[in-house]
Order: sequence, then structure tokens, then C-alpha cells
Amino acid sequence: MTKLLITEITRMGPAFCVIGLQREKEKIRSVRPVTATANSWMHFPYQRGDVLQCDLAPFSGAKPHVEDRVSRRGFQKESTVPEPEVVAYLRKAETAGTLPELFGCILHENKSGSGLFAMPHEATRSVCGTQTRNLRLELCANEVRATVALSSGEVLRDLPVVDREWRDFIEAALAEGRGANRVPRLERFLNSQFHYKVLSCPHHFVRLGLTRPYHDLCWLMLDTLIPLPKREWLEEF
Amino acid sequence: MASIKDENHWKRLVDECFRREAGPQTVVPDPAQDLIETGVLDSMGWVSFLRALESASGLSELGALLTERTPSFESIFQVFKDAQTERPSPERDFSYATQPATRTSVLISSSCAAVGSRKIPSEEVDRAFGMPPGKLRSRAGIESLAYAAEDENELTLGARAAQQALHAAACGAQELDWIIATSETHRGYPSLAAQLHSQLLARENCGALDVGGACLGLVNGLAVAQGLIASGQSRTIAVITSDVHSRTFKPGLVAGEFGGLFGDGASAFLLRAKNGAAPQRAYGLGDFFFGCAGQYAGAIRVADAPNGSLDVHFDGEALSRAAITRLEKVVREIELRSGIARSSLQGLATHQPNPRLVTLLAKQCGLPQDKFPVVARSFGNLGSSTCGVALDAILQSARSHQAGQWGPIFAASLGPGLLFGGGWLVPA
Repeated sequence: MTKLLITEITRMGPAFCVIGLQREKEKIRSVRPVTATANSWMHFPYQRGDVLQCDLAPFSGAKPHVEDRVSRRGFQKESTVPEPEVVAYLRKAETAGTLPELFGCILHENKSGSGLFAMPHEATRSVCGTQTRNLRLELCANEVRATVALSSGEVLRDLPVVDREWRDFIEAALAEGRGANRVPRLERFLNSQFHYKVLSCPHHFVRLGLTRPYHDLCWLMLDTLIPLPKREWLEEF
Repeated sequence: MASIKDENHWKRLVDECFRREAGPQTVVPDPAQDLIETGVLDSMGWVSFLRALESASGLSELGALLTERTPSFESIFQVFKDAQTERPSPERDFSYATQPATRTSVLISSSCAAVGSRKIPSEEVDRAFGMPPGKLRSRAGIESLAYAAEDENELTLGARAAQQALHAAACGAQELDWIIATSETHRGYPSLAAQLHSQLLARENCGALDVGGACLGLVNGLAVAQGLIASGQSRTIAVITSDVHSRTFKPGLVAGEFGGLFGDGASAFLLRAKNGAAPQRAYGLGDFFFGCAGQYAGAIRVADAPNGSLDVHFDGEALSRAAITRLEKVVREIELRSGIARSSLQGLATHQPNPRLVTLLAKQCGLPQDKFPVVARSFGNLGSSTCGVALDAILQSARSHQAGQWGPIFAASLGPGLLFGGGWLVPA
């Protein structure tokens, strides 16, 4: 049995992708439990910070998703770790401060539009943590996109935000029951309080990931943004 | 603000950006079709398409304005219309888009280039930097470098280019309303623009302005000059670039793989408001656009080190990739914004980090290499003056033909950051 500290729950469409941290001797590394038939979960009732007991097959996935491990049985929750402690562990796992170090490869710019991608055979991993100098979320035609300035000063634009909690928060902010002018209110929040709440948080941290190959390219995305949003923030705007 | 008269122009922009995202063979969907719901684009492709469209249209908040709307062409056209009619502002001046390549109220009356008078074979530079002879030639394609002689510096080279440009236009220095200078090597005060002002003996009420941007400096300077003339406050402006790298990037201070690439040179352009008496054989400035691709910020950094030397971080490979990708992207965008096909160009005045990259850029752009004037191969990378010397060469070559045979010119450059900018010139 393997103990896994759940650090990432991402959502694209209806399915969830999950990543946790596993301790191997002195090393902490990311592991992505997948089902035997799919890379994602349609139902995942756990939260970030949960420590789960699981049974994972020892072989890893194809490049760059070398963190994949097939889950052979269900999960059993053992305990919960608070957010600052989760970040402390994330800082000991895969991290990088510069663009080429993120996934051990060159990242390419989309020539015709926006976004950055890696070639699947060049990337050596599909998830990496990083300290950010600045961060901004914005709504672009119903989609949430992040702009991230790394500590090196390099700027990544238009990263799709796939963090489950942040996506849920944005959707809740735009829910019809919240009255008029929802979009401008949310934009105002993202341009003001959000910035303060996230960047002033002492355990502020992000994890970036690569999508599965899509037309032979793996696109960069914002997997996790800590601190996670709080429901009560919705009352502020 | 100009009104949108030509809806076909918007349709062209939308169609072109869509095809770039979805593929050239993709059938343009029905205007009302939900592009995501029907699987024409995924959410990443949709945003990517909108970003390209924002850039091409100049409507930078297109994505934000489409929130809570169906992802369709119809919604996009509606936002274009709403933006035009409801919230007119200078940022939403779409006149360039509706009248591509016809904004020629600012003319380049004359131009000139001046390079360092010492011509040094690249092998000699290899040896000076302790590199194997032939390295600059074989790796970067540089055959020789123009180095400033002992009595030459940013001021003398810049002044020489400016005086010749003034002379070519039969324009006295007292006619100048502004001197706009740019240099990536000149340090100290008075600034280069102020020194040029004194050297050229311009009027006291002629302004002197230094603009930055390093290798992007010329494009920055042209855009500033265009704005000053378009505002009606100025009629005649000299834009001058001048860079003397050989005294900054010296052996012992920087590595040869970096310092060996650079030469010394200057360029000058005399810009005038178009009026009835304007010369017919001149180019008019089109529009300029700029940006900063921060993901490449780590590729090159130069700073003063505490011990008085230079702290240079230069990832040549990353910078080369970034330069090609970005320059090609800028060329695509100029083409899209101006409606001018690259195949019709007289030439491209681009930054030339090194000759190999020019070859690669020509290939990537699908253009013959002779559309890019030879600058870096003979003189080295001249910093802000590379683009200037290239532009001057294209203008001079055009002048050897009948005015009716002149083609448009694209200007595109980059600077550390990674700053980028571009624009176009059309025969007046």
C-alpha cells in the first residue's frame, strides 16, 4: 500500500485528474493515480491535503506523464494535512525557477495564437512547482486564464486554469443567483482583492502541468494555485 | 474615430485568424455555430484564436467582452460593432484596419547609414576573444565586423548619418522640431540626443529625446516620431540610432560567443508631415505595434557587475529560437494588420542577431533571402542600428527604381525582455 498526500485535483470538462506526493526514502515525488482504463476520474470525493492509502502499480506512464501509476484498488482516507504543510511538502518535490527547468525541456510558443507547449518526447515530467513573482487571473470569453511571472522574471501567459477549486469558485461567482453585473464584479475581484489575498499569503505556491499530447503537443496549464479560494470570498464582491 | 465601413475587412481578419488556429483546410463555420459545443475548437483553441484576433484587430479586450456570450463568429462580430458604437476611445481607433496601408501622413524624406570605418575579418575577432579562428564565420555566418576607429563614437557616427540624411533631403538642421536618438551602448550625460542636438546645431526649441529598447530602439523611435507628427505639434523629426559595441563588449569583459557578434554603426531617418510640397518619391509610415514576450526574459540579461565589469547572461540557443519565433510572428501580424502580402515586399528591415538567423527567418517566412539586406554578415549585429542600416539599404535600393515599382516594406525587431515591435511602410 502507498500513502499519498493529495496535492492536485484538476478539472477539464467533466473528469478529474489527481496528483499526490509520495515519500520514497528521503525523496518526495509526484505520483498521478489513474484508473486501468482512463487517465482521469469521473468521481473523486477527496480534497487536497487528504492523505490516502492506495494500491498503485509500480510502472510509470509514457513520457512526459511519467508520474502515472495505475490504481488497483479504491482509496482509503487516513488523515488530513493543513494547506501550509501541503505547500511545505510541495516545495520539497519537483520545483524549478526558470522556464527550461520546469519540464526539463524547451517550451515553445504557439506561433498562431496563444499558449506554450512542450514536445512530448522532450519533456521529462508533466508537473512542476514554482515560486511566482506575480500572478494574475482573467476571464477570456468564459475561460479562466492565468498569467504567471516566474522568479526568474520569465512570464507565462494564457495558461488555462484547471485547478478544481479555483474553477468551481469562478463558476460559483458567475452563477445566475448572484445577481446582476456578475462578470464585472468578478473581474474587479480578480484585479484587486484576489491579488492581495493570493500574493500576500505566506504559503503562496503554484504547480504547472502539461496536458496529455493533443495533436502531438503538450500544452502548459496552471494545475494548482495555493491558497485555494474560500467560499466566504464570494461575499466580498 | 473612424467608423467601421468595411465589414469585409473584419470578416477577413476573423477568417484568417480562425484558419491559423484550426488549420488552412478547415471550413469556416456558420456564423451562429457554437465553436466549442460543436467541437470545431476546444477551449484552448478558442482562447488562442481570440488572442490572435485581439492582436490583429487592436481590440485588446475582445476576450473579456465575449464572456457570457456564445463562442461563435456572430458574437465576435457583435462585439466589434458594440465596441465601435458604444465606447469610442482612442484605443479603439480601428482606422488602420479599415484602411490598410493608406495612413501615409508621415513620410520618410531621406535616410542614411554609417558604420565603423575599421573593417575587421571575423577570424581576427575570434582570436581577440580567445576563440578558435573561424568560429564566428562557421557558427554565426559573420564574415567581417565594422568597428569604430579611435576617433569615432556614438556621437560622431550618429551625427555623420544624420547630416547626410539632412543633406539628402535638402533640409537644414534648423528645421528640426525633434531629435529622437536611440542607442544600446551610449552611457553618460549629456544623453546622446542632447549631444546630437548640439553637434547638428539644431534650434534651441528643437526637442531632444532618447528612447530605449536596445535593438528595438529604431522601431520605438519611428513610432514616437510618428505620434509627435500626427499630433500636429511637429513637422520635421530626425530619428537617429547609434551603437558602438566594440568599446563595451570587449575581450575579457564578455565571452566571445556573445561579444564577438557585435559591430558598430548608426542610421538616421528624416521624417516629415506629408503636405502638398512633400516629395513624391518617399515612403509613408503605416502603423506600429509593440509588445513584450516575457517568457523569453531569461534568454539575455546584461547588467553592471559590482566589480565594474559586465554581468552577461546569454543563452544563445534559447535566444535564437525566441528571435526566429517572435520575428516570424511579428511578420505574420504585420501582414494581417496591413493586408499587405509578404510576397509583394520591397524588403524586410528586421533585426539581424546574426546572419544564420536571417537565413533561417527567410526560410521560415517563405521569402528569398535577398529581401533581407546584408547587414550582420558584413558589419555584425549593430544593436538598434541593425534595423536602421537594413531599412536604409532597402530605401536606397528602392530609389534606384521608378517610384511606381516600389513595394511596401516591413520593419520588425526585438529587444531584451523580450520586447518586440513591428510596422510597415508604403510608397507615398
